[in-house]
Amino acid sequence: MLSNDSLLWQIRHFVYNHFADTTLPPSVDETAAYFNISTEEAGDYYRELHNHHAFFLKPDTLTIRMANPFSGIPTDFKVYVNGKTYYANCAWDMLGIPALLQCDAVMDAKFTESNESVQLEIKNGQINSNVTLSDSEGSLPRQTETLRSRRTLPQSDMLLVHFPLPFSHWYDDLTFT
Amino acid sequence: MLLFRSEEWIDKWCQRNNLERGEVLTIHQVWELSKLWYQDRLSLDYHGRSTEKVAEIFKKIGLKSKFWYIQK
Repeated sequence: MLSNDSLLWQIRHFVYNHFADTTLPPSVDETAAYFNISTEEAGDYYRELHNHHAFFLKPDTLTIRMANPFSGIPTDFKVYVNGKTYYANCAWDMLGIPALLQCDAVMDAKFTESNESVQLEIKNGQINSNVTLSDSEGSLPRQTETLRSRRTLPQSDMLLVHFPLPFSHWYDDLTFT
Repeated sequence: MLLFRSEEWIDKWCQRNNLERGEVLTIHQVWELSKLWYQDRLSLDYHGRSTEKVAEIFKKIGLKSKFWYIQK
């Protein structure tokens, strides 16, 4: 248990705001420098916050992999907000980013299994039902992107999110969840 | 949590991965859940949330089955 509980939560706050501002997590060195503490001490706080499920480190490292809804690595769930591109950990977190930032967003994702690309929009607090589908990335060369077939789903209600595990098991293996 | 185009694709995915089917929410339900779940995450005062608060959020979205049961 670390001695300074206030600093622990200030570091959590710093990490989240760093993600929001830059789309990336701060390194442990950046966090140490910001709070004028040693890298070792910042690492201890990182591990403590990981144990609190405040964010999640890559195994055996001090690199932040997830601070939900933000992902520290590229994923199939891209969120465009105010000229920035964020990556979300899953379909829920993709919507979590505009919810957290409380702003409009455009999101690119992929349907699992059918592998079609889909674009969604949050505008004025509502999901735009004008969902656009296109062929999966890679099926056509990048330069012919404009030629990709694009079509619209009749209703956004067809978009479904599958929660594979009950809530009581969400933290057993967060990457799978 | 993955995005699917229809129930049929969810069944195919579960079958292919030899997994039991979980719970399925519409994108609108997930958006409502996201707002309640993440709206305070940038606040300095956010220190995680109690099981009571989690249960309250699930209840507001209408998630009442055993799947959403919170162990206290």
